[in-house]
Amino acid sequence: MTPTDQKNDHLAERVFERIESEHVTPRPRWEFIAKNYLFWALGALAVALGAFAFSATLFEIENVDWRLSAATHPNFFSFFLAAAPFIWIVTLALFIFIGYVNVRRTKHGYRYSLVVIALGAVLTSLTLGIGLYAIGFGGMLDETIGTHPPFFRPILVEERSWWLAPEKGLLVGQVEKVAEDLSSFTLRDFLGRMWEINGSNLRGPDLTVVARGGVVRIVGLPVQENLPASATSSVFHACFVFPWEIRGGLGNRQPPPPLAAIASTSEKNTATVRNDVCKNIRPYQRLRSIDESGL
Amino acid sequence: MPTEMTDEEIVRRTLLDKETFVLLIERYEAKLGRYLERLGVGIPEDREDILQNAFIKAYKNLNSFDPTLAFSSWMYRIVHNEAMSFFRSKHARPQIILNEESEILITELQDDSADASLLAEERLSRKELTRAFVTLPQSYRDALTLRFFEDRSYAEMSDILQVPVGTVSTLLYRAKRALRSALPKTFSS
Repeated sequence: MTPTDQKNDHLAERVFERIESEHVTPRPRWEFIAKNYLFWALGALAVALGAFAFSATLFEIENVDWRLSAATHPNFFSFFLAAAPFIWIVTLALFIFIGYVNVRRTKHGYRYSLVVIALGAVLTSLTLGIGLYAIGFGGMLDETIGTHPPFFRPILVEERSWWLAPEKGLLVGQVEKVAEDLSSFTLRDFLGRMWEINGSNLRGPDLTVVARGGVVRIVGLPVQENLPASATSSVFHACFVFPWEIRGGLGNRQPPPPLAAIASTSEKNTATVRNDVCKNIRPYQRLRSIDESGL
Repeated sequence: MPTEMTDEEIVRRTLLDKETFVLLIERYEAKLGRYLERLGVGIPEDREDILQNAFIKAYKNLNSFDPTLAFSSWMYRIVHNEAMSFFRSKHARPQIILNEESEILITELQDDSADASLLAEERLSRKELTRAFVTLPQSYRDALTLRFFEDRSYAEMSDILQVPVGTVSTLLYRAKRALRSALPKTFSS
């Protein structure tokens, strides 16, 4: 018998001595059960929060008009930096990671591979996120949470700021009143200013948007006219009008266009005859093709 | 006391009568002592301290024992974790000396080798094998020790090391490859 074995002969005795002297007792079962459920709950909560973040990510992606980036930004890269929902993507990744860590710490969490848990967390977050986005939660979250962190602006607020730049030929606002022949209309921008919009250069697709009403985005030129001092609105020459529909929100459907009014302007439906004023705006050809294909 | 009881039965009884726990200690102390030696806890007193701590921890956490696992896997896990804490707290390097284990490892490496005759001719000394073995990362040594010295199944290793079964196979594959490349060139080629 080796010295080790001799010592081990007394191991049980020594263990019991310590159990007695240190008053060791088995921890109650409920503690372990509660701990296990807690990790599952934290994992599930993190994945759910990841889903919220994904719904907001989807909302931002859906509501950023990538095709009009050339009108609002000097190049696509600057547009991407301004528009990509980095904060929500980081939030999504963070919560998925927290979910993964918590599931790994459950009783049998170690049996699942990194790929299985990570993929499960990602897919659950994405699926739930799509559902939340579909019921309009993404937009609500983006608007609600977005107003609080100082370094972040909700995408709709951000986009409004891009389009509220008449000096750059960009305008966004609510169509208030439309002339019968659709040659002009009144617009209230998001700062509450009234604009008289000259629509003489607008073509069929633009006029459809105007006739439909609601919130529109205009690419054109501010007109420097000698307005009387009593004038309450500025004048803007519209070259292109695009709708601004909020996707992924609740109850944002706009009324169908008044078909009769559009029909009466059918002679303008050929998009070839805009005058030189509009042809000088940047990027004319791109906007024309978007206008014709419809947003 | 009936010693033919299963481990799980003893655990159940221990929760009612702590004296029964002695059966588990007696059943596992030698096996776990050898395991600690193979992990590199060279000093007998250290091994006994680790075993004491491990059994007390096991007793304290008996209610967390999952009967769907083998009790031995659970106990090995506790001892393994205690040994790792010991190395960390003492800043100690494992003192590994392969004895009869070296034969098992050589056989295993021969089985996997394309040229077994070369290995047979080029018998490795225990010293050479030990030297190569200690250069392996801890996770590789753990995997080889459990699989070839402790004769544990992949599922048991998964429960002891708390990694998925797939990771166990990967660890073993990489550990054997690393061991071969750590051996003298005539052997590893």
